[in-house]
Amino acid sequence: MDPERLRGTLASTTPTSEPGSESESPRVAEVQLHLEAEDGKLLLYLPTPSETVLEWGDLCTELQKQLEAGQRFWPPNTLVELVTGDRLLDHRQLQTIVTALSTAKLHLTRIHTKRRQTAVAAATSGYSIEQRAQILPLAQSTIAQFNLNTEKKEVAPLYLQTTLRSGAEIRHPGTVIVMGDLNPGSSIVADGDILVWGRLRGTTHAGASGDEQSQIMALQMEPTQLRIADWVARAPATVPDQFYPEVAYIAEDGIQIARASDFSKNMTQP
Amino acid sequence: MGRIIVITSGKGGVGKTTCSANLGMALAKLNHSVALIDADFGLRNLDLLLGLENRVVYTALEVLAGQCRLEQALVKDKRLHDLVLLPAAQNRNKDAVTPEQMKQLAYALTKKYEFVLIDCPAGIEMGFQNAIAAADEALIVTTPEISAVRDADRVVGLLEAHHIKTINLIVNRIRPAMVQANDMMSVNDVQEILAIPLIGIIPDDEQVIVATNRGEPLVLSDNFSMSGMALQNIAQRIEGKDVDFLDLDAPYDTLFSRLRRFFAR
Repeated sequence: MDPERLRGTLASTTPTSEPGSESESPRVAEVQLHLEAEDGKLLLYLPTPSETVLEWGDLCTELQKQLEAGQRFWPPNTLVELVTGDRLLDHRQLQTIVTALSTAKLHLTRIHTKRRQTAVAAATSGYSIEQRAQILPLAQSTIAQFNLNTEKKEVAPLYLQTTLRSGAEIRHPGTVIVMGDLNPGSSIVADGDILVWGRLRGTTHAGASGDEQSQIMALQMEPTQLRIADWVARAPATVPDQFYPEVAYIAEDGIQIARASDFSKNMTQP
Repeated sequence: MGRIIVITSGKGGVGKTTCSANLGMALAKLNHSVALIDADFGLRNLDLLLGLENRVVYTALEVLAGQCRLEQALVKDKRLHDLVLLPAAQNRNKDAVTPEQMKQLAYALTKKYEFVLIDCPAGIEMGFQNAIAAADEALIVTTPEISAVRDADRVVGLLEAHHIKTINLIVNRIRPAMVQANDMMSVNDVQEILAIPLIGIIPDDEQVIVATNRGEPLVLSDNFSMSGMALQNIAQRIEGKDVDFLDLDAPYDTLFSRLRRFFAR
């Protein structure tokens, strides 16, 4: 590869010189609230208290954000099934979810739960209930995805149309695609690739479960920090005066950034 | 055992974080080992002021969750080797940690560092409770405005209730010319209300804005501005040295201003 084509000024990308590069990657075995399309309906996974440290209020905010960011991808009046595992939901909490969904023109139809109290609350509100965990609970399914690399590819990419502002954090066991900017202070942790159709100024971690083939692409690459698998890189101190779409990937000596136009021509490996 | 000092104010925007960054740097320049803790979870800024934003890999939260060791989360300063920063998490809020956990972190740091400075968030809620939990000393930062002084007074009360007895006052952003003209509270006015020992007076200075945006604290530059010098002096007073206060009034105490004050009375 022609080294001149690379913006080879990435500061110290060697694994030994950065604190984060010690064999363990900075990922958390945390499960995020997320929505998944399946057979014309949407599944809303609500992590159980053992899977997340977020309080109920934070989860609600998270739901609002995700609904806003994904709204374009679901047709209006899509039916939603709520998967709660063994999380306890009372009548009022259920109502909060219903209200949030209906502002996004989505309708809750069915609730999958393991808890009897949740089922009762749902039934009194008039929703159909699936008390056996027919759908694989989120924890099991995601752990399976983390362990089996082959299965990982099957996780649908997460599309977000939003600006990620400081403090926002997206975790996804697959590829993440953002139509919008990543502001400084925001972060994306993905097991697959990260594509940003906008300015990337936050922190991104692609291949978080160790896949060194993962790539980070952005129309305008001004990251605070880039991480791929167990590698960490800082952006060069000097800001280039012109921006091109760029791709970050792992080369022999760490994370490299190449112009997107050159990258596709020069890369022999996928 | 190192000293744990919390920098707090009650009111926001009076210069807590700026003081933390500068005092940390100044103490490190005086050859002390210093650990700065950003206790402002969810709205962290200290990393920006120190120019260390892009080196943050782990935060205090990951340390507490056992996902990394404390040493891994400490960001070493690129200019002064005796200075480290323990960053706060940006994606969570103040309820993510408990006072007990903050104590653990601070006590662990006192074993290796002579000074542990905690940058307290504005307000007197959970974030404040966390920040002061471990501290044995406090620096109150206030500006010469009634609102800032009122809040500082409340904070002094809270600190005393938490058995923090060593409380020193920094009056920030003073404008000697305005004080001379009787348009601004003087340091004496502030001290009269708060009644705690004064450890420093920092004049209002445009250079602070420049330094903040560059991520290079004032005390780093070789030719100090007045405010840089004032901060350096505070660091020496924290060390225990007896340093005279800067005479900020000198350039403004002209015959004309004296006459004006005389007739204003």
